[in-house]
This record gives sequence, C-alpha cells and structure tokens, in this order.
Amino acid sequence: MIKDWPLILWLPLWFWLFVAPAGLALTLYGFRTRLMPALNVIWAGLDRVYLASGILASAFMVSILLIIIVQMIARWTGFTFEGSTEFAGYAMAATSFFALAHAFGRGAHIRVSIFLNLNHFTKKWLDGFAMLVAAITATYFARFAVKTNFMSELLNDRTQGQDQIPQFIVSFLSLFGQSPADWSSSLATGSAGGWIYTPVWVPQISMSVGTILLAICLWDHFIRLVVTGHSSIKRETVE
Amino acid sequence: MTELYATGLFLFVLFFLLGSSVWVGLALIGVAWVGMELFTSRPAGDAMITTIWTGASSWTLTALPLFIWMGEILYRTRLSEDMFRGLSPWMSRLPGGLLHTNIAGCTLFAAVSGSSAATLTTVGKMSIPELRQRGYPEYMIIGTLAGAATLGLMIPPSLTLIVYGVTINESITKLFMAGVLPGLVLAGLFMTYIIAWHYVRKEERPAQAQRMSLSEMLRESRFLIPVILLVMIVIGSMYFGWATATEAAAVGVVGALILAASQGSLNWSSFSSSLMGATRTSAMIALILMGASFLSLSMGFTGLPRALASYIDGLDLSPLVLIAALTIFYIILGMFLDGISSVVLTMAIVEPMIRQAGIDVIWFGIFIVVVVEMAQVTPPIGFNLFVLQGMTRHEISYIAKTAIPMVGLMVLMVIILVVWPELATWLPETVRQSRN
Repeated sequence: MIKDWPLILWLPLWFWLFVAPAGLALTLYGFRTRLMPALNVIWAGLDRVYLASGILASAFMVSILLIIIVQMIARWTGFTFEGSTEFAGYAMAATSFFALAHAFGRGAHIRVSIFLNLNHFTKKWLDGFAMLVAAITATYFARFAVKTNFMSELLNDRTQGQDQIPQFIVSFLSLFGQSPADWSSSLATGSAGGWIYTPVWVPQISMSVGTILLAICLWDHFIRLVVTGHSSIKRETVE
Repeated sequence: MTELYATGLFLFVLFFLLGSSVWVGLALIGVAWVGMELFTSRPAGDAMITTIWTGASSWTLTALPLFIWMGEILYRTRLSEDMFRGLSPWMSRLPGGLLHTNIAGCTLFAAVSGSSAATLTTVGKMSIPELRQRGYPEYMIIGTLAGAATLGLMIPPSLTLIVYGVTINESITKLFMAGVLPGLVLAGLFMTYIIAWHYVRKEERPAQAQRMSLSEMLRESRFLIPVILLVMIVIGSMYFGWATATEAAAVGVVGALILAASQGSLNWSSFSSSLMGATRTSAMIALILMGASFLSLSMGFTGLPRALASYIDGLDLSPLVLIAALTIFYIILGMFLDGISSVVLTMAIVEPMIRQAGIDVIWFGIFIVVVVEMAQVTPPIGFNLFVLQGMTRHEISYIAKTAIPMVGLMVLMVIILVVWPELATWLPETVRQSRN
C-alpha cells in the first residue's frame, strides 16, 4: 500500500492528494472575508468547467444513439459495422465519467439523507463529514484511474473486440503524454496513416478526466461548505 | 474469530458510510476498499479500476441512458395533458370513473419511462387538479396515484430491471418481458380497488360526467395513439427478437423525438434539457453501478456470500420461507435506501443464495421490483411520497396513510407471484432469441 505512493517534491503523493486540499480548505477559511471576491470568481469558473464536461458527456450520449442507429442500418442493408458494440461501450463510459462532476453539482447523485435532515447541526457537520469522505474516495478513485490509464499505454493493451481507429488519432492523443522534443518523430509515424486495433488507453482517457474532475468537484464543494457554512449543491427538486 | 471480526468491521463501515449520508456510489467504493485491505493482499486500487472499467464500458449498459432519454423527451411534451384528455372518456364508463385515469395513465407512461418519479409527475400534473375539480375524494386521488406510479419500475422499460440485469449478468430483454404480465396484473389489482371503493363508499361518488359518442372519444384520444404505437414497437421489437434492448431503446428515442416534433413541443431548450437531464440521471446510476461492481469484487474476497449461501443451504429452508424472509429484509432495507441502491448493494450476497435455493433469477428480478416498489410508498424514505408532497402540499404522514391500501395490494402481488410464478416466467420463455 505504501509503495503505491511515489514521492513527489520530497513528499509522498498521498500528501498532495489528501492532506493538501484539506489544508487548503482550512487556510481559505482563515482568510475567507478577504478572499471572498476572488473565490466567487474561481467558483463560477469551476462551475463552467463542470458544465462543459457535462455537455461533452451528453454529446457522447448522442453518439451512443448514432452508433446504434448506424449499426442497425448497416445490418439491414447487409453491411457490417465492425466493433460497433465496443464503440458504443466506450461512448457509454465517456457519457458516465464526463457527467459525474456536473451531476454532483446539480444534486443528481443520491444519498441516504435520513440522519442529515435531523437538525441544523447534522445538516452542517454530517454534510461536511460526508463531503470529506466522498472527496477522499473520489481522489483515490481518480488516482488509480490515472495510474491504470498510464499502465494500459505502457503495456500497449489493445481491445479484445474488432474495433479499429485511425492511427493519427492515437498519435495525436499521445502527444499530450510526451515532451515536445519527441513530437516531430511521433507525428512522422502517425502520418503514415492506416487503422489500428483500439489501444485501451484511448477510451480510458474519459475515465481519467472524469474522475479527476469529480475529485476536484468534491474538494471544491467541501471548501465551499467550509468557507460559506452551507451546502452549495443546487438541487432541481422534481426532474 | 479474526475472520468474524473483520466481517463485522466491514459491515459496520458499510452502514456507517451509508448512514452518514456519503453519496451511495462513493460509499460503496469506500466500503469495498476497506474490504479489499482487510481480506486480501491484492492491490486494491488496480483491481478496482479493472473491474470498474470493464463494467462502465460494457455494451449491455448502453440501454440505460437511451431509455432514460426516451422518458425525458416524452416527459417534456404535452403528453401529460393529452393523456388525461385521451383516457378520461374511456375511463368514465367504468365504476369508479375518472380515478381509473390515474392507473391507466401510469401504466401507459410506465411503458415509455423507466422511473416511477417521472411517471408520478407526468400523470399527477394533470390528473390531481382535474380529479379534485370533479369532486373525487382526496385520499383516493392521492393513494391510487402513489400506488400506480410504482408501475414505472415494473413495466418495461424499467431502470431497476436494467440495473438488476447488468448486476447479475442476465438478459435485459427477458427481464423486461417478465415484467409485462405482473405489471398488468398489479394495475388490475389497483383498478379492482377503485371499483370496490365505488360500490362500498356510495356516498363519496361524485356526480356523473356526461358521456361522449365513440367518434368524439376517438378524436379526444388521437394524440395517445402514436404513444401507444411507440410502446408497441419498442416492446414488440424486443419480444420478436428483431432488436436487442439497446436497439429498441434507440428506436424509442428516435420515435419519441418524432412524436415531440409532430406535437410542436420539440425545440432547442426542451431537447437540450431532456438530453442534460438524461445525462445526469444516467451518470448517477452509473456511479452506483461502479461502486457496486467494486463492492461485489470485494465481497467475493470476504467470503461472506459463500458462507451465507451455505448457511442458508444448511438450514434446509423451503424456498417459500426464504422468499418470506427476503421480503421482510428488503422492506426494511427499502425504508432507508432507494430501489436501485438496494438491488446493487444486496445482489452480491443474495445471488448465490437464490441460485443455491433453486429460485429462478428472472422471477426473482420481478419479485425484487415489487418489493422495492413498496419501499417507494412507505415512510421514512419513500421517494414517491416526497414527490407527491411537493405536488400536493400534504403532510408525508397523510400521503403515506392514503397509500396503505396500495401497499397491501403489493403484498398481495408478492403472494400471487409466489403462487403463480409462471406469471413472470412464461412470457420470457416465448421470446424469440435475438442475436445477443
């Protein structure tokens, strides 16, 4: 368990992931009156990021629909759409992961609120405790999602289905993981063209990004609760 | 002894996290992590992501967002008004009159939507004011609506059944088909109750509305016919094996969009709000499923499911006693948890148990849905009660009291299912095999 947390800047990773955000919350609480205007700007900006991610998720939901329609048409007309079930699965994962943070901010995720609604004391303190536990869990989730994502790339894991994607998409996406010095050689191999069996790390990016956003969102809401003293989840009562 | 201690700690963490109002999906991940650390030396984090990724990117799950979206689109159309206008002329001839629009409306909307809260709001939005205006007693309006809305979980498409099917790896098409007849029987029971009320409480009957001619009735219900057609296409295509559950859902979304467009209620704002609403709901359920898949991996290492299954086997219970015990267990669980969470939380333990006892898993899916339906209308956490409170401004306790007869009818439904299991198992057996 310990060896799973490498040192970064002389401190173990778990410090940066779990202790630092909690410390940040306390620091901001100390300076809350002076920092309020700045915090409001940051919070509005973060809300926009969550919304953008939610919109991206909904685009992937539309793509599930399109993949399935194309697959049905292909079947009726006698063509085959190789790997359609895998592509629909990747789109499904992207729909779920990208929407996690957005759904959280809108109060879509459910919880057992029986003790929460007992009185004002539990409403504030239990909510804070739950938010902290949730933030730690989500950070843990994100940390291993990212690790698995890098491992898939390192081991060059390929899909077990028949789905293929163009080589240039893979080359383009892998630029983000490389130093700019290697870009030219990557682009040279990438422009060779052709289709390859989907490397698992490509669809897994949605998992890494989505869980990181969820973790940020939960720490963000925890800090908002600590600083303002009330929950900032905007619930839309009956959907 | 240490094993027992660890198991106790594991269960304590489970109830502690859920009870301290940590969001269900994340609470399950947290508990599962504790279980992994206690019972196995396997690296918990890596095993977690492998399990979660396989589950989250599975093809079977794609039916979920599409069915949610289909319901969301129709929820935002004028269906609510059309449903009351279209159904009331037909229902007014039955003893019990327009109260039957609650049941028929819920049954119909349940067939396009998988959620009971959406069913409740869509039908209640129109029927509550209309029925009040015509002088039906308040407790009958609210009670029948609270009960009938739970049909949304049973009649396909049903989100609870999709989640159940994904969790235990069973065919969603079969589960959907299994829900059809019990759903209709339950609707029939609710209607019988209204008819009984009509004859027993003669003094509460409101004045008779005037009758329409057949052509007028058809004209009033012209908007309903496309919806009924859509239902028949979606369910029929699954039944005859023309389409998988996901493909039927895609057809449903396209059909719902066409229907909304032809009604003139499809514009950018209704389209985008249906899309975003569906995305959020689907992410909510997906997070619970992620937590549940990790939890069931972790549960496997605790040995709890196997131990419990062999313990139950050793008791030599008849399946009847087991079902009775499980009914009570789920009713208690349902007092605190919503239906989908109760299903995913317990299946890792209950599945080996019921397989050992030789209970059909398709049948069990329908049983579990009836029982969690009951939880929707029983306090303290009955989701339908909250929705109805928002709509009618009555006290929760009053609404719960009006729903008691409905809970009784659901208990009767469980007994019917036990006596005639064919009700659930017959239709799925006749389904034509589709490609997957």
